[in-house]
Amino acid sequence: MTEHSGRTVEPSSERSPSTDSDAGYDYLAPMLAEFASLRADGPRRETLRDQLVKGHLPLARHIARRFAHRGEPVEDLEQVATVGLIHAIDRFEPGRGSDFLSYAVPTITGEVRRYFRDKAWATRVPRRLKDLRLAIGTAVPELSQRLGRAPTPGELAEHLQRSRDEVLEALEAANAYRSTSLDDMLVDDPSSGRLADVIGAADLELEQVEYRETLQPALQKLPQRERTIVMLRFFGGMTQTQIADRVGVSQMHVSRLLARTLSQLRRELTDSG
Amino acid sequence: MDVTHDVSSATDSVEVRVRASPSLISAVRVVAADLAARADFDLDAVSDLRMAVDEACSALVAVAAPDAVLCCGFGLGPDHIVATATVAVSAPTAIRQDTFGWRVLATLADSAEVISEQDGSKPWIGIRLRKDRNTG
Repeated sequence: MTEHSGRTVEPSSERSPSTDSDAGYDYLAPMLAEFASLRADGPRRETLRDQLVKGHLPLARHIARRFAHRGEPVEDLEQVATVGLIHAIDRFEPGRGSDFLSYAVPTITGEVRRYFRDKAWATRVPRRLKDLRLAIGTAVPELSQRLGRAPTPGELAEHLQRSRDEVLEALEAANAYRSTSLDDMLVDDPSSGRLADVIGAADLELEQVEYRETLQPALQKLPQRERTIVMLRFFGGMTQTQIADRVGVSQMHVSRLLARTLSQLRRELTDSG
Repeated sequence: MDVTHDVSSATDSVEVRVRASPSLISAVRVVAADLAARADFDLDAVSDLRMAVDEACSALVAVAAPDAVLCCGFGLGPDHIVATATVAVSAPTAIRQDTFGWRVLATLADSAEVISEQDGSKPWIGIRLRKDRNTG
């Protein structure tokens, strides 16, 4: 099938779906077929994909609402269902005989179910560990300030009047956590004030590393916060605790971001070299 | 094919052996972090050691002989941990020290060196690094 750039596939308004009935989506079938036939990098795919997502949105909403009584905000569920819808559109193969809806409904439902399963995992961490983790979160910056470095598990235990084993257990649980949106606060603007000085000095240090032709573009691809943290740690000579203080996130979050960014950089540098 | 080798030291308190594969490095990393946390290293030092061991093992897995075993011993000192990771290699190999990876390793550890024995019938290469209890 060839691409007919002149043909429009705009749905006419009187045929747009006003109900959740299957028939409401029939007009999208030719678009689905065309979408599946296009190469992955074609510019037309983007446009078609948008139209397909928009056209099927009532379906995603409908499925999301079936889970509405389980205590999660409906807007969140609708977002998750939309992600499922996008997967379904991307993966659907019209040539295989089944129609889109019988493929999309289980895909979208599966995505929503997975969301509940992940959520349940996050809440399965015992209450006492969560409370302790919160207490540790407050104690770490406090003790860091006093000690001039990050505290040890023993120091945290003493400060919180808990056993060291409990603290170790809570720290371990904290490592297993995925970062929450609360952790993802904004970084100081690196172009202002002292942070700019530190980054400037770090950039000079960077000049001394071999392969900076491959490293520089890899660093540039990172989100600004991750790049800042990597530069401060490895070229600015700052500890994680100092970076946490400077950038305005917790030490544990700096630790997680660094570990994640390093493995990403390693992959990138291996691929290009 | 037996491509294990033995450079472990009797003073190492813990030794971890895994097939030299990227997917198994996490096991070594977790042991490193646990040992440091239980030895009451500060949180920065625990996290630094975890990442340093990760970096060292990644560098070694990349040059390891097929079917090689990645062997990592940990020696616990009063105020530091020494990690010695080694792999068998099939041909003489070097680990460059002017790369970003080495920069990362040298920054995270308090000292880092490449060790190797490549003249004999079972050549191997390794990285030994030391991490002190407190950072800064």
